Amino acid sequence: MSFAPRPAVQPWKRANNARRLQIILAAIVPVLLTALVVMTSGLDANLATIVVFLPLQILAAGLVGFRAYGRRGIGDALLVVVTIFLSAFVLVMLLSVFFSVLSEGSRTMSLQFLSQNNVYISNTTSLEYGGVANAILGTLLIVGITTIVAVPLGIAMAVYLTQSQSKLRGLVRTVTQALSGLPSVVSGLFVLSIIVTFGFTKSGIFGSLALFPLMLPTVARVAEEALKLVPSDLRLAALALGAPNYKAFFQVILPAAKSGLITALLLGLARVIGETAPLILTVNTNNGTSWDPFNGPMETLPAYVYGYLSSSFTSAHQRAWGGGLVLLILVAVLFGSARYLGRAKSMKSKPTKQKASK
Amino acid sequence: MTSLTKASTLSSEDISVWFGQRQVLSDVNLTFPANKVTALIGPSGCGKSTFLRTLNRMHELIPSAGLSGSVFLDGEDIYGEDFDAVSVRIKIGMVFQKPNPFPTMSIKDNILSGLRLSGRKIGNAEELVETSLRRASIWNEVKDRLNDQAISLSGGQQQRLCIARSLAMDPEVLLMDEPCSALDPGSTRRIEETIKELSSSMTIVIVTHNMQQAQRVSDQTAFFLADDNTPGGVVEFGATEQIFNGPIDQRTNDYVNGHFG
Repeated sequence: MSFAPRPAVQPWKRANNARRLQIILAAIVPVLLTALVVMTSGLDANLATIVVFLPLQILAAGLVGFRAYGRRGIGDALLVVVTIFLSAFVLVMLLSVFFSVLSEGSRTMSLQFLSQNNVYISNTTSLEYGGVANAILGTLLIVGITTIVAVPLGIAMAVYLTQSQSKLRGLVRTVTQALSGLPSVVSGLFVLSIIVTFGFTKSGIFGSLALFPLMLPTVARVAEEALKLVPSDLRLAALALGAPNYKAFFQVILPAAKSGLITALLLGLARVIGETAPLILTVNTNNGTSWDPFNGPMETLPAYVYGYLSSSFTSAHQRAWGGGLVLLILVAVLFGSARYLGRAKSMKSKPTKQKASK
Repeated sequence: MTSLTKASTLSSEDISVWFGQRQVLSDVNLTFPANKVTALIGPSGCGKSTFLRTLNRMHELIPSAGLSGSVFLDGEDIYGEDFDAVSVRIKIGMVFQKPNPFPTMSIKDNILSGLRLSGRKIGNAEELVETSLRRASIWNEVKDRLNDQAISLSGGQQQRLCIARSLAMDPEVLLMDEPCSALDPGSTRRIEETIKELSSSMTIVIVTHNMQQAQRVSDQTAFFLADDNTPGGVVEFGATEQIFNGPIDQRTNDYVNGHFG
């Protein structure tokens, strides 16, 4: 047998010209008609998209589907139109948030904005002075401490929920789920009451404490799902080779669940990194740079944004946008690097050396 | 390579098994002599896989499992005080129905995983990998890609890799739970050849639904059956030749000739 060249057109994609024309018309006519209606009647364009364009588009697609396949064609056409319309709707909303933060925030963006702190800066100070370095530092330290504590504990909870046969699992799972609905301001309030009762000073570590009950349930639940996905075959295979439970877990189950566990870490981070209320309640704000989470107030990015938003001056608003953009970039960098590290390690399997020499 | 340890005789004495309050196996007494291949046959649900799992203490991993009786490895009770589950499983290897190589490890690391997981010394890794893969007759297919991920192999190759992984532990007994049920005839034939070669250095117990396979590879055969509402048990046990050509029990005769099950 000899190899034949791949045909240019797939048999299932062959459409006749009449059908093609119908599809093109169905895609263009509703848009044109809607544009016409908007221009002649002065109807609001956003409203017209929903009340004029969507029904017209559904009608047009339904007609094309009906001509091609009969009744079942209508259903297919409806599904296509509704899916694309809703996806586009969500995408436009997301992109417009992203775009406005990017365009507004980029005016403030400069090396000085990233490297200076907020001392002597008022709502009317020119954007050539001051920055968010102190807020970046505070956010990284406070969220970092929370992460270091909450992620191992969350994963440990997931291990307990998936690997043990304990009868308490149901209770733990229910409590975890209830905890994941905890409003962040309540968590902040609780820690604030500790601060007030015992006469502590608001400082970074209390912020970490307030974020902890928010991050833990998220990490635990996502990690539980990730561990559940590891086939029980693998655990049995490891045990049949004479592995003690802990080695089966660390050398076989954990590596197999790695990408899911990284997702748990990232979703946990995403849950807390933008939290504002608990941090304002427990950490307060600080225009200067503080490296010490155990001593005195610190600045955080969400608090920085909140602080400048409440002013009525343009330059203050621009600082708030800038802070928002920095927060977005920070999240992107954290997510990107976690994914990259996770992937780089699982691509090449490295032998564990200390086992070989033992 | 000759085996480091000699093959051992495995025997069960009055093994009965429960799941919850339901008894699924009753008084199984079988002996698996050293260097012999024993086939366990019988219809689905008669308890032969369950029995196999009692032989290397995998059975006890099921939370509702219950057991009475003893299993002797060269005269020592593996459920006795001198043994623990881990050391039993090191001596008695197991190959599962579905190929289950470790997906995060390379072919080479899969072979070495048994020693690493059980915390034993790896002397000459390169040599061990090659010998194990050769014994499972898969060396020629994978020798140039030892660092590839194990899941890049085909189903038949994965199963032979799993056999090689067990062989790297140099077990005295190898238990195989329908090792060919998910494989094509070519891979099945190669695994059967492997089983015959291995029997010179170890004791093998194989569960199979394939009558021809039982006849091809085994020296002795045990026929398991669970009648309605009774626990499963051994109906007849003897030389393979006898079980297939002159069974004493009518039910064995019906089963091996395909009249039921």
